[in-house]
Amino acid sequence: MKRRDFLKFIGAGGIGTGLGILFGQAIKPPGSKLIPYLIPPEDVIPGLANWYASLCTQCSAGCGVLVKVMDGRAKKVEGNPLHPVSNGKLCVRGQSGVQTLYNPDRITGPMKRKGARGSNSFEPISWDEAIREVSGKLKELSSKGEAEKLYLLSSSLGGHLGMLADDFMAGFGSSNSIKYDLFDNRNLRYANKSTMGLDAIPHYDIENTQYLLSFGADFASTWLSPVALSRGYGEMRQGGHSARGKFVQVEPRLSLTAANADDWVPAKPGTEAILALAIAREIVESGHYKGSDVSAWKSLLAPFGRTYAAGVTDVDKGKIRTIAKEFMNARPSLAIGGESISGYSNGVSGLVAINILNHVAGNLGIEGGVQPNSSDLFAGRRADRVGPGIDALIKAANGSGIGLLLHYNNNPAFTTPGSAHAVEAIKNVPYIASFSSFMDETTALADIILPSHTSFEDWGDDFTDPAPGFQVATLMQPVVSPVFKTRSLGDTIIGLGKGVGGAAAAKMPEGTYAEHLKDSWSGLYTRNKAMNASELTFERFWRDTLAKGGWWKESKPKMSKLKVSARSAARHISKEPAKFEGDNSQYPLYLIPYAQAGHLDGRGANVPWLQELPDPITSVVWGSWVEINPKTASRLGVKMGDMVEIESPYGKILSPVFVYEGIRPDTVAVPIGQGHKLYGRYAENRGANPLEVLPPTVDSRTGAYALNSTRVRIVKTGRPGDLVKMDVSTDELGRNIVQTVPPGGAPHKDTSHH
Amino acid sequence: MSGILTRLKDKLASYRVPGYRTKFDYKWTMVVDLDRCNGCEACVVACYAENNLPVVGKRDCDISRRFSWIRIERYVEGTYPDVKVKFIPIMCQHCDAAPCEIGCPVYATYHNQDGLNVQVYNRCVGTFTCATYCTYDVRRFNWFTYKWDAPLEQQLNPDVTVREMGVMEKCTFCIQRIRVAKDTAKDEGRKVQEGDMKTACEQSCPTDAITFGDLNDPHSKVSKLAKSPRRYRLLEELDTDPSVIYLKRVMEDRKGSGHGTSHG
Amino acid sequence: MDNISYNEINDDVVRTMTKTTWKYWALLIFCASMAGVLWFGAWAYQIYAGQGVTGLNTPTFWGIYLANFVFWIGISHSGTLLSAILFITATPWRRSIYRSAEAITFFSVLTAAVFIFVHMGRPWNFYWTMPYFTTRELWVNFTSPIMFDVFAISTYMTSSVIFLYFGSIPDLAAVRDKVTGWRKPVYTYLSLGWRGTDAEWHWLSKSYTFFAVFIIPLAVSVHSIVSWDFALSTVPGLNKTIFAPYFVVGAIFSGTAAIVTLMACYRKAMKVEKYITLMHFDKLCMLLLVMSLLWSYINVVEVFSGWYANTSAENETLMYRMFMKPHAYMYWLMILTNSILPLLFIFKSLRRSIFICIIVSIGINVGMWIERYLIVATSLPRKFLPNMWHDYIPSLIEISMTIGSIFFFVMLFLIFVKLWPSISIYEVKEDIGIPMRKGFKRH
Repeated sequence: MKRRDFLKFIGAGGIGTGLGILFGQAIKPPGSKLIPYLIPPEDVIPGLANWYASLCTQCSAGCGVLVKVMDGRAKKVEGNPLHPVSNGKLCVRGQSGVQTLYNPDRITGPMKRKGARGSNSFEPISWDEAIREVSGKLKELSSKGEAEKLYLLSSSLGGHLGMLADDFMAGFGSSNSIKYDLFDNRNLRYANKSTMGLDAIPHYDIENTQYLLSFGADFASTWLSPVALSRGYGEMRQGGHSARGKFVQVEPRLSLTAANADDWVPAKPGTEAILALAIAREIVESGHYKGSDVSAWKSLLAPFGRTYAAGVTDVDKGKIRTIAKEFMNARPSLAIGGESISGYSNGVSGLVAINILNHVAGNLGIEGGVQPNSSDLFAGRRADRVGPGIDALIKAANGSGIGLLLHYNNNPAFTTPGSAHAVEAIKNVPYIASFSSFMDETTALADIILPSHTSFEDWGDDFTDPAPGFQVATLMQPVVSPVFKTRSLGDTIIGLGKGVGGAAAAKMPEGTYAEHLKDSWSGLYTRNKAMNASELTFERFWRDTLAKGGWWKESKPKMSKLKVSARSAARHISKEPAKFEGDNSQYPLYLIPYAQAGHLDGRGANVPWLQELPDPITSVVWGSWVEINPKTASRLGVKMGDMVEIESPYGKILSPVFVYEGIRPDTVAVPIGQGHKLYGRYAENRGANPLEVLPPTVDSRTGAYALNSTRVRIVKTGRPGDLVKMDVSTDELGRNIVQTVPPGGAPHKDTSHH
Repeated sequence: MSGILTRLKDKLASYRVPGYRTKFDYKWTMVVDLDRCNGCEACVVACYAENNLPVVGKRDCDISRRFSWIRIERYVEGTYPDVKVKFIPIMCQHCDAAPCEIGCPVYATYHNQDGLNVQVYNRCVGTFTCATYCTYDVRRFNWFTYKWDAPLEQQLNPDVTVREMGVMEKCTFCIQRIRVAKDTAKDEGRKVQEGDMKTACEQSCPTDAITFGDLNDPHSKVSKLAKSPRRYRLLEELDTDPSVIYLKRVMEDRKGSGHGTSHG
Repeated sequence: MDNISYNEINDDVVRTMTKTTWKYWALLIFCASMAGVLWFGAWAYQIYAGQGVTGLNTPTFWGIYLANFVFWIGISHSGTLLSAILFITATPWRRSIYRSAEAITFFSVLTAAVFIFVHMGRPWNFYWTMPYFTTRELWVNFTSPIMFDVFAISTYMTSSVIFLYFGSIPDLAAVRDKVTGWRKPVYTYLSLGWRGTDAEWHWLSKSYTFFAVFIIPLAVSVHSIVSWDFALSTVPGLNKTIFAPYFVVGAIFSGTAAIVTLMACYRKAMKVEKYITLMHFDKLCMLLLVMSLLWSYINVVEVFSGWYANTSAENETLMYRMFMKPHAYMYWLMILTNSILPLLFIFKSLRRSIFICIIVSIGINVGMWIERYLIVATSLPRKFLPNMWHDYIPSLIEISMTIGSIFFFVMLFLIFVKLWPSISIYEVKEDIGIPMRKGFKRH
């Protein structure tokens, strides 16, 4: 279907709220009637597909999607070609949204705990009962004067849902809203805020860069906004540029992204920041940096000499020099830092070092470099995503500081280090109400479950962060009627607020969440000049926005001047490598847990498609593994598929060995995502969760858990593992299957391309 | 006598001359740019969603019965630290001289007028010959009648058959989408044009590595890409004349490898 | 064989058909039930559950069933081909063994044909492989080697049955004259009113000779065609031009070995040592020796041409077949049984030792089965794209059906012996000569 056709198609239907009337029951606007299918809705023709624009919530990137709906069922999710983030493309997790919607292991209706806490034994109750019970508990808490003891633990709720939740909390009298996701880019936000003063994640313009230097940013599978960045990557390589962009990846393990790099630099784990600073020093010393504060930089970077850095980082001196030379000479160039570098005990330092590198090379605020994103769409009502971390919640729970916990859509019982004892802490909370759609390890601890819709059944919106250099607001609309007896979280919150009464009730909107969302957008429309310039009336604006999938003003990103001051940077950098728990002699190997493309932080593990999707690098399906360099493996006497114990000072897990050339001999890597004890039939009791062996190390500046912070040892068990990998041989045997040309060996670009 | 001959001639003419190797209505072609492909496998999931591919479970994966019609193969070169991993998406190559078509005794797989190698599920008796002859290992067999756990079956695409036990299947170049595009074009009294349809894998590919179109149309994107100096076809020496064209990955030779893996 | 009277021959042959011990019944019932459970039971389960119960996987779509199919077709070459060749060359020692050999042909073709259906994904649609008229005007694909098979095997089976039946008519008449009870009308019907007139003998001899001549190229072509199932593909290890002669030689080799095994058992069980003598074993073993040398030569040629081609794919297949897990041991076992053990037959005394004959001939059949198995099981798992390589390990269902098919075959033979004169009466009589008077000696 062509873009234009599809727009005509969905625009003509005038779907808007009409869709809510069609399929919605929970979101039924007042006064709507039950319409039999004998009088079919205007835009539903059996056998013909309708495409509805909506929002993907499988990760926080905020891709706009189109959902193919036939006869009231969601069939396929595709990227929304008009949407500037997804550009019509979608990643593996996004496309699996339909299997989340129709997942056989969803919670089918409100439930109350029957057995002991955590025994996963629940009995169904009615929605009225559930709302009554939770509001009763809330009222109880409030009457005891312990309103401050209400905690809300959720994923980073984007858009107006987050604001509604904040309103509720504020009305109730609690400020304890904990946003937690394992990969919530807490360190990145902090580093950018403290060195460049940015509120929002900037736009990393991979597309137009000539030299991309990535420190462990696995943007091909998980980092920030994989779809948008991968698209940029494709354009960088074979887009319409005069020369093909070069790409160097610094990372202890050859990730999917590193596999696409022209050069892989396996620096010693924990020293990437030093490498970045050494490169920055080379650039400053070479006279490339022309800023007035050049002397301040010189003195700040003085300790990071090439020789010192080469010694610490295990990267050749000449290589540091080459990278520095190429990085400053290629215009524009861009350095980015991902999970691997931000996951060390001094994660912020690494990301600051990268900002410095971009600053001294002159990559800030230019095309092909780092471009700031505005955050003014929300008139100061933006939910602050870098609030207190999960460690604050654990502390409070252990100190009986939590009277009632509301939980939604994250799974700290799985995504926090085992040594942080999140489960034990949460068990201390007297009453837990969960709004989760799935029975995961954290939800199982709840006393009552008020299951929410998944994204294709619900209304919502998202203000994209990171945005592509200009503001993007994406709308989410229900495309099918609810599969189970679940409810929109917004409606649940409004119901609870009204049930509690008092200030909380006063803060709650009249009517449903769907209506509230429209009202809020009406407010946005009134406030925002760019918005109300686009359409004459709000109703028309709303209809078009729903049809299009959101609102954005596609424009060249604003190139405002960005800079990193030596003074702000100085507070964060250090000459010391990151710290690793465990004694070198006892635990000789660094452990790198990493996000796997299909499962991210484990949330994809209940989707059969993603379980059966071979890992892009190892091709393993339905399980986890530990990547070991062949040299290390032969030293340990283990071979591919052997079951081994990975033991850190904090615990041990069992995992089969995957022997991989693309990992440092002093490092092992384990993917995150498997090892669920609960999470539906596809996820349960499969593989191992590396977080179980991590220390409770946090970067004190942000409260983010450091993933790469322990050493481990590998202990042979002598048993075969349950490794199932799809690749039998990865040796091409000279059969010219993947043919290559050296750069310059053939014209880099095809004039025909785009 | 001449009457009989004329009738015979008419009769023979009434059988559509297969476009195979002579004249195609369209020549559907896919171009895969390996320099863009980053191996993310979005295409694989897109194919599962579009074509009702079953999930077979761990045990069957272990004996190589995964269903994906498109797969990413990876090849690792060199040893640490000089390691290169190369990706290549492989789907049915829709060969113009297809080995599978020779093998099938019942014409369950044949070449249609658009240059597609099509598989007729109803006709298949499951002799495995096509899959054995296939040089690209892209054919998948329904070893069992696969089930979807309710309510996952609600996702199944009604435009695509759910195959029964005992039949062979493979990538169709999303023939159901081609069908829709052709019907629309026919209604509008024209030929299918560039941009009328995309295959599921092409549609989802974040890096735009996959391009699909009509090679007979000199203005189509595939026609232009097919002239790229980086062009090659998979296992071309077998002379299967595939309809999938790959563009070579731009990659430096490994240090010390001494030779390029190919010569552009 | 000299001091046997015509009557005695008649009596002996009829005795094998009418006198049945309980042991025989027990064996028959055992074989039938084993065939029923191991083969048809397993097959029923496979049809119910799907081909997934096999060990077949994505590159290795052909497994043990195809190996069994080729193996049984190979066995079939024993009989009819051998019988026809020996008939045309007027080899005297043919006479007492050829009937059983032809029966073996028929039964093994039957078994092989069933395996075609066993290996099909949707066997209930088997008739779609036949060129029948439909309103859809849908024809079968004549370029498919599988289609060649359909024609070749059905022609072969038909011709073999006719050949077997023509040769048996005088004997059926002889049996008709001896038996009583329910057998009488059956053999009366089967013998087509044979009276033994000169004209009848004349036409029998004419048509029999015609079929003998006809069947030799047919049999050669059948196994050549079977080899094209593999050779027409592009898969390394299968696309060998040597395959047609290789398969034909292998077929005669394994077929002859099967005859030796069966004759040895039959001779003992039926107490017909006077008809099937050590001389027969001597001659058959000589044939085995020749075939073994020929087979070894072609095997070397196959390996050599693969090695000489020196492509990555060919080399990999050879290495995988000869030196890698999980099948390399089978390759060397095959070399032992097919190339080395038959060399024992250089010595006349060993050729005349029933024990050695049985050991070697069973060994050859095992080896020849392995050869067929290795062709599919070591070529398909190593096709062109190393990423999709996958070893093939047969499942229990497949092994069960393979064993079951042997029982099925034995069962058919056991039934045959009771229903058909399994030694050619009239030709054995020819062998003895005309008993003009007592003490007549031919030599």
